[in-house]
Parts: sequence; structure tokens; C-alpha cells
Amino acid sequence: MSTATRSLTLGATIARSKDGYVGQFSQFSGLYVRELLRTFRNPFVIVITLVQPFMWLAFFGGIFSTLPTAELDTFLLHAPPGTGYLSFLLPGVLSTGMMSIGMFGAMSTIQDKRFGFMKRILITPTSKATVYLAKALGSATRGLVQIPVMIAAATAFGVTLHGGPLGWAAWIVGLTCLGLGFSALFLAITASSTDWQTPGVVSNFITMPLMFASGAMFPASIYPGWMRAIADVNPVGFSANLARSVLTYGQFTGTDLTYLGYLALFAVVMIGIGTLLASKYLKVE
Amino acid sequence: MSANGWAISAHGLTKHYGKLVAVDHVDLSVPGGTIFGLLGPNGAGKTTIIKLLTGLSAITEGSATVAGYDITADPMHVKQRVGWVAAEVILDDDLSGWENLWLQAKLQRLSDWKPRALQLLGYFELTDRRKDKVGTYSTGMRKKMEIALALLHQPEVIFMDEPTIGLDANVRRMLWDLITGVNKQFGVTILLTSHYIEEADMLCDRVAIIDHGKFVATGTPSELKSRVKADYIELETSESVTSERLAAIPGVSNVRSQGNAWILKVASAEEALPALFHALKTDGIRRINVEKPSLESVFIDLTGKRLDQTGSDVQDYRKFYMNVRRSRQ
Repeated sequence: MSTATRSLTLGATIARSKDGYVGQFSQFSGLYVRELLRTFRNPFVIVITLVQPFMWLAFFGGIFSTLPTAELDTFLLHAPPGTGYLSFLLPGVLSTGMMSIGMFGAMSTIQDKRFGFMKRILITPTSKATVYLAKALGSATRGLVQIPVMIAAATAFGVTLHGGPLGWAAWIVGLTCLGLGFSALFLAITASSTDWQTPGVVSNFITMPLMFASGAMFPASIYPGWMRAIADVNPVGFSANLARSVLTYGQFTGTDLTYLGYLALFAVVMIGIGTLLASKYLKVE
Repeated sequence: MSANGWAISAHGLTKHYGKLVAVDHVDLSVPGGTIFGLLGPNGAGKTTIIKLLTGLSAITEGSATVAGYDITADPMHVKQRVGWVAAEVILDDDLSGWENLWLQAKLQRLSDWKPRALQLLGYFELTDRRKDKVGTYSTGMRKKMEIALALLHQPEVIFMDEPTIGLDANVRRMLWDLITGVNKQFGVTILLTSHYIEEADMLCDRVAIIDHGKFVATGTPSELKSRVKADYIELETSESVTSERLAAIPGVSNVRSQGNAWILKVASAEEALPALFHALKTDGIRRINVEKPSLESVFIDLTGKRLDQTGSDVQDYRKFYMNVRRSRQ
């Protein structure tokens, strides 16, 4: 090492942003951008994120889309004649896709714990709540990447999308709330875990029942009573119904606004509870 | 640094994991600008002390101030003033060296960090590789990057947890130069843990010897070595011998067993060895090692075992962490 480079001194003091919770924005933005960089630099995560809903559309939708249109219209009850199962399925797949992205956020957190990076973060003036919120937003953002790909895929399959700018904006906001809510839920449940298997187990436990009892894949009107009761309070169903109203029927009604309100409430409640739990139970390692 | 000049000050520092006492009423005072070493075997409580002093783990009992702030009452101010170098290099391998520095600046809320980061990259000779992912760096470069991260926010205290563990001799010596350089150039207080005798002896202004969560001795390396006015002979035999037989050898003042070996305390190894060879069959001696006054002999004198011993202690260490994990579940 040369003498010149060895002559480094402390120099002028580096400025810091403000103390207190407002000051946590720096840490929050840094951790959020880190989540995005890690996601978009990992080709496997991108492929899984993009291909998973596409495969649902292709394989699941493919089975039903071969049925005669008249039967499908009967099966879907209120669907406009000739819209087909893919039109019905697309909003549901996007909603269920947002539900499962929380698993990636939980896995990323467990990776940080096991490789010691959580210690590196928490040895700085960064609160556990900030780490949690950045992870939750990072997961939700990752889920939103699916939207343009799914729309392009659905269009390629011959689905015609309807709705105006207001309806589309409400749909995307609702989808974001759904992603935030489930990311927050997954991260809160796995806050104290360091086991790689936990996110998968939690995902199976939450995702599967909520996916089928939601009206995302099939009309809730054909469900048995107990399943319809779950669908009535299932945010995945709210998101799917909102999306279906906008994209399939080209409407944005008062009911859809209520769905949007429920989804916003779901996100706020989940983030609120999750932040409290993470502040207390987020493990360092 | 606090008004009384201590960069780190702890009183009765204690940590329990369930029924396990990982740190047991430790008192610690580290003057600003010095290098202080915690020397002890695996599982002695060294890393736990760092976790307590950096706010990563809650103190069960006692109090501590770091850089003038109480670690329990004001942990965020402490965290603004401390850096950390882990035993295992912890960087985000998906990010470049520059991006790791950027993230560290964000986590420390630094607004004008780039000139400092460029200086540090130059100091550690990493400027040319700053745009490469750190996953492609050599072990030495990764260690340098980790120290650069620890220095970015101009900390008053850096905690180094077994900074050279698992490194080859060349990288270890390079790191020793860097640690003393960082201490001198940046005037930063360093608390490092180690179970390498020569590392503590060479780097530290003061050393605390820790065993089973307790400080058993504290002082400068010279002070500690001067406490031991004896040599130690470590002996492993193929024939069966008793402690009484060994204690009867002229010059031997104390006999302790450690696994398959015996540790004999003698006034002078040069005078005791002929009597030892006379008393035992030389072809029955499988291994013999003479320990002149050193931090190792201090440790033997205080605890009755070698610092770098394996076998029973390794089992204890594994058992310790297993119990810690269980108590957390």
C-alpha cells in the first residue's frame, strides 16, 4: 500500500439526515432499493415471478377454454356472452399471484438472517420496523411486475380488456393493496423464523385455501355455503371481483369502490399489525 | 467518547439465555483510541459481549455506555457511532462494492458520503474493483471492503469479532497491518475478540481473558505475562501415568489433566525436563510441548487449560449454542 493512500485522515464530518422516525426514510429507501436490485439481478426470481401466473393462465385456463362457449357462459353465470374462461380467469390469476409474492419477501428475510446480513443492518441506526416495511414494499413491487406481462399474455390468448382510466387505476391500486397486505402478513408470520421451509409451509397453509375460496378461479356462486362465507371476506376475492368488473365488464361501480376500500383497509391493518409484531419479534439471526 | 475518556464502559454486564449464563457480571473500561482484546475460547461469551454492546441483544443485567451513550437507553445514538466487522465476511454479494457502500451510507443516513467512500476505496486499494459485484472479490478484498463499510460513517468504536478467523497466514498478517493502521490513522477505538494468542499479543493495548462468560484477568499483554512466573509443560504419553507420579517429579508444582494430555506447572522447564525424562520412559512420551510465559500460559495458569484446545471444549461450545438456540425457541 502506497504512502500516499495511507495518509487518509478523518477529514470533515459527514452530514447526517435528521434523527427520529422521519430519519428512517433513508434506511427505508436504501433497503427497498436493495430488495429491487436483488430481485431484478436474479434471473430465476424474475422467471418464476413472470412465468408462474402465465402457466396458470395457460394450463388451468386451457382446460376450460376448450369447453363450448355456451356452456362457459352458463358456468360463469353473469359473464357477457362469448367472453370465455380466460377473461374470467385473468383477474383471478393476477390476484392470486399477488397473494403468493409475500413468500419471496419472507424467504429474502430468512436469507438475511441466516447469512448474517440482518446483523449488519440492525447494527446501524435502523429500526426493525423499517426493515419490515422495506421488505413488504419490495415484495409488493415485485408482484406488480406481473401485471404488464399478464396483460400481454392474455391479449395474445385473444382476451379483450375493457374499462376506463379510473377503473384501471382503481384496479392497480387495489392489486397493490392486496400485495402489500399479504406481503405484510407473510413477513409478520415468519418474523421470528430462521427456517428456510417456513415460508413454503405458510404459503401452502394460506395460499391454497384463500385461492380456491375466493372466486378467483371459479364463480363464488357455485361454492358450497361455508366456502362462500370465506369468499365473502376474502381480500383475494375482493381484488378479483374488482378486476373482473373493470377488465371484463368495463364497469367501475359503487360496489367496486367498496372492494377497493376493503383492500386498502386490509393493507393498512396487516401493515399495522405486522409492524408491531416485527418490532418485537423480528429475529436478528 | 464519554466525558471520562472511556470509549466503552460496562458494569456488571450480564446476559442469560434461559438458564444459560453467557456473560456473567463483566466490568469493562476501554480508553478511547486504543485496541482492546477479548481473548478466550469458543463459547466463552466474546461475541455475546459484542452483541450486548452494539444493541443487537438485550442486556439481562448491568449497564454499558459506548461512545458516551447508554446502550439500553439510547441504542440508536450508539449505532451511529460504532462499526462492526464480523467473523464471517457479511456483504451483499448481489451488489457491487460501490453499492454496498451506498447501502451502508443509507443505513447510516449519510448525505455526503461519496468523497469519504472514494477515500476508503483508495486506502484499501479497491478503487478499480468498485463496480464489480463483491461476490467476485477475493477473501482479502472482501475483508477490506467490510472494514471500509465499518469506517464509512466515521465511527468512534469498531467491534471486530474474530476478524482473522479462518484466514490463511498472509491474509491474516495483512489484516493485522490494516487493523493497527486503522487504529492509528483514524484514531478509532477497536474492540476485537480473538482466540489467537499471537493476535491479541501483537495488536492489543489491553487484553481481557474471558472464560465461561467471566473476565478472569485484565491488563496489558506485558502485565498479564509478568503474572506468570512459571513455565508449563504439556505432555501426552502412550503409557498410563497418574497425577501423583507426575507431581512427584522434582520441579513440578502442579499437575492438571486435559483430555489425553497432562499440563505440568514448573518453575523452569529447562531444569524440570531432565527429571521428567528420567522419571518417564522417553519412548512412552507421545508429545511434549513447553510453554514459556505468554498469554497462552496466562490462560493455562488462570483456567487450567489451553486456549486453543479442541475436544471437550468444542463439545461444550456446540452444546452451548444448541442450548442457546433451544432457549430462544
